[in-house]
Amino acid sequence: MPAANDKQLQELLAHPSVWRGRSRAAIPTVSTGFAALDAGLPGGGWPRHGLVEILTPGPAPGMGLGELYLLLPALAALSRLSPARWCTWVSPPNEPYAPALEAHGVALDRMLLVRTHLPLWAHEQALKSGAASLALAWLPRASPRAVRRLQLAAEQGRALGVLYRSQRFAGEASPAMLRLLLEPRVRDGRQGARVSLIKSRGGAREPIDLEWAPGVDSAA
Amino acid sequence: MHPRAYRLVFPEPKVPRAPSALRVRPVPPPPSGPGPHDQAALAFEPRELWVAAHLPRLPLAALRSDAAAAPVVVIDADDRNQCIVAADPRAEAEGVQTGMTLSAALAAAPHIDPRPRDIGAELALMRRLAGLAAAFTPQVSIESPDGLLLEIKPSIRLFGGLRELCRKLRAACLADPVFAQPALQPCFTLAPTALAALAAARAGARCFITDPAVLPARLKPLPVGVLRWPNEENARLAAMGVLTLGELLRLPRAGFARRFGPARLADLDRLLGRRADPRVRLKRRERYAGRVDLDHELEDHERILQALRPLLGELEQFLRERQRGITAVQCRFHHYRAAPTICALRLAMPEARAERFLSLLRERLATLVLPEPVRRCELRGGTLSERPLASSSLWSAGEHGHAPAGEMPALVEHLRARLGNDAVYGIRRVSEHRPERAWMETGKKGGDLLSDVSALPATGVPPVRGAMPFFWRPLWLLPAPEPLKQQRGRPHRSGPLKLLQGPERIESGWWDGADIARDYYRARDSQGALLWIYCESSGQSSGQASDAGAAHRWFLHGVFG
Repeated sequence: MPAANDKQLQELLAHPSVWRGRSRAAIPTVSTGFAALDAGLPGGGWPRHGLVEILTPGPAPGMGLGELYLLLPALAALSRLSPARWCTWVSPPNEPYAPALEAHGVALDRMLLVRTHLPLWAHEQALKSGAASLALAWLPRASPRAVRRLQLAAEQGRALGVLYRSQRFAGEASPAMLRLLLEPRVRDGRQGARVSLIKSRGGAREPIDLEWAPGVDSAA
Repeated sequence: MHPRAYRLVFPEPKVPRAPSALRVRPVPPPPSGPGPHDQAALAFEPRELWVAAHLPRLPLAALRSDAAAAPVVVIDADDRNQCIVAADPRAEAEGVQTGMTLSAALAAAPHIDPRPRDIGAELALMRRLAGLAAAFTPQVSIESPDGLLLEIKPSIRLFGGLRELCRKLRAACLADPVFAQPALQPCFTLAPTALAALAAARAGARCFITDPAVLPARLKPLPVGVLRWPNEENARLAAMGVLTLGELLRLPRAGFARRFGPARLADLDRLLGRRADPRVRLKRRERYAGRVDLDHELEDHERILQALRPLLGELEQFLRERQRGITAVQCRFHHYRAAPTICALRLAMPEARAERFLSLLRERLATLVLPEPVRRCELRGGTLSERPLASSSLWSAGEHGHAPAGEMPALVEHLRARLGNDAVYGIRRVSEHRPERAWMETGKKGGDLLSDVSALPATGVPPVRGAMPFFWRPLWLLPAPEPLKQQRGRPHRSGPLKLLQGPERIESGWWDGADIARDYYRARDSQGALLWIYCESSGQSSGQASDAGAAHRWFLHGVFG
C-alpha cells in the first residue's frame, strides 16, 4: 500500500501546475537556442505560457545590449510554428529591421507591431487573445499589479509574454514567472552577454555566460 | 358554324356571380406537420412550385392614414380619369368600388376623402416583404404593384416538407411587425405556375395546388379580372359572357387569338403551365443601411450601444441571408446642432456577427468624443464580400497548439478599434540596397495584413542561414539617422566608439534623387552596445564640404540586437 500511495503521490507531483521549491518546474517550454541557457532554465527553455521579464542596465529598457539576440532563436522558432499565431511587438524602441529578422529565420508575416500610448492595455490584449504565441513589450514603467495582470493574461491566452524593463526595477517584487538580468559581455573580441536569473522556479543560481552566434557578431 | 363560336357572338346574359367554392377564407393551409399527404403531394413532381403573396389593401396601407374621419379612397394621380385604386371598407359600404372614376365615386358618396397613391411607399413595403421571403428561396420577384412571387420547389427539402415550408414562410411574414397588421396581411397561395398562384391570390382564394393536372379545374371559378388584363378587354369578354377563367379557357384558341391577339393566348398558356414563364429575380440591396430615432437624447456610451443593438441585429440578419460579410461599418450619430459624429470601423476580415460588431464599437466609442447628445443613430454597412464560414472549435485558443483562423484577425481588429488603424501594422522586406528602403510597413491602409495568414506552409520553411550580408544588418533601425559627435575624426557617443568592422560601402539610388554614398561600420560604445554607424563619403553631392574636417560626417543608423 505505501508503494501505491507513493506512486500516486509521484504522479500528483509530476503535474505541471505543482512546483516544489527545490525542484525544477515541469512546464512546457521552447528552446532558447543557447545550450547553456537551456540547461540553466527550469524546464529547459523559455516557458511557453507565462511572463518573462528581461531587465537591462540603464535607466530605460536598453537597446543593443543583446536583448533581442537573446530571444531571436525562440522568436524564429515560434513564428514558424504550424498553427499560425502572431508575434506582437508593443512599443518597440526602434523599428525592427525586416531584412535582418528574415536573415535570422523569422517569418515576417507573423510579426505584428503596435505603436500606442496604451502599451499595457495592448500587451494585455495580445497576451490574452490566444492569437499570439509570443508578445514582446517595452514598458517604461509597470506596477506589480499590472505585471500580475499580464502574467494572468499570458496564462489565459497561452502565450509567452516578454517584458523589457530597466534594471532599476530588479528590486521590486514581480509576479512574472521568470526574471532575468542581461548584461553585455565581450570575451575574446566576441560579443555576448551574462544572464543572471533573478527569479525562476528552480533555475540556475550562477550567472550564465552566452555568446551570440558567430554569424551574428564576429568580424572574422 | 361551330356551336361555341355561336356562343361567343351571342352570349347569354349572365348574372355576375362571386367565385363560389374557392372563396372560403383568404388563408393558406392550416399549420400541420409534413404528413403522408405531403409526401403524396410531392409525388406528382411538378416542374415548379410557386407561392404568390398578394397584399389586397396595399395602396391604403401605404398611406399610413391612421384614423381619418371620412372614408378614404386612393386615386391614381397619374391617371387622367382619376380612377379609384382602393377604397376602405366604409367607402365600399357606401357604394364606392375600385375602378370607378373619382367623379362617379363622389357622386355616390360625396364626403369621401380622396388621396393620391404613394407608389414609393408601396414599393418599399413590397421590398420589405421580399426581404423576408428571400430567407426561403433565392427566386423572389415582385409582381408590381402588390404581388410577390417565390419559386419554392428547390427549398422544400431544406425546410422539412412543403407544408412546413409554407407554414414557416407565413409565420416569418406575420412575425414582422408591419405585416402583422390586419390591413397588410398578405394572402398566400401555392400553384404549379406563377400566374395561377398570382391569380388565386388576387381573388383571395384559398389555393394549395401541387398537381398541374387539376389546375384548370381549380381555376375555373375565378373571375377574369384576376388576370389584370386591360379594362376594355375585360369589358369585351364580359360582353361575350365570359366572366370566369373557366369560361375563358373554354374558348377556341384560334378564334381567341384572332380577337385578342397572340399575347393574351400566351398569357393563358402560362397560366396553365403550357408555356414557360421565367421571372426576373429581384436584385436585392447590396448595402445595409438602417437608422434609429432615439426617444431621448443619449450621452452615455453604453446606452447608445444598447440603442444600436437592434440595428446590428438587422445587419447580422441582412448578412446572414446573403451569406456574406463586411469589412467596414460606419456609424453616424446625429446631434441637435453639431455636425454628425462619424465612427467608422474597419475589419481585417469579413465579419457578420452582431456581437463582434458590438464589442468593436464599444472599444471605438470609448475613444470617441461626442460634442452633443445623440438624437439619431445611423448604421451603414460597406460592400459585401465573401465570408469564409468557420465552425466553432472544441479547444480554446492556444490549447493543444490550437489557434483558429478567426482569432488572428480578431486581435488586429480589437487593437485597431481602440488605437486607430495605423497603430497596428506588419513589416516586410523589400529588395533594395539602401538600408532605410529595404523594409516596408504593411497593412496600414486597411490593407493586406492578413492576406496570407494561412499561406505559410504548416511545417515551416527552413531558415535561410548563411546569407552573410544580412547577418551584418542590425536588428533595429533608427527611424532617421542620428548625427554623431566627432573628435579628431572619430565618432563619439557618450565616449569614443570603437570601430569593429567595416567599411561596407553602400552607394545607390542616383536614379530617384535619394542617392546615398555611405561607409557603414559596426561599432561598440562604452556600455557594450553594438551600433551600426556610417560615415558619409566625402565629395558627395549633399556635402560639398569645403574643409576636410566636415567632410566626414558620422551617423548612427542602427543597433544590433
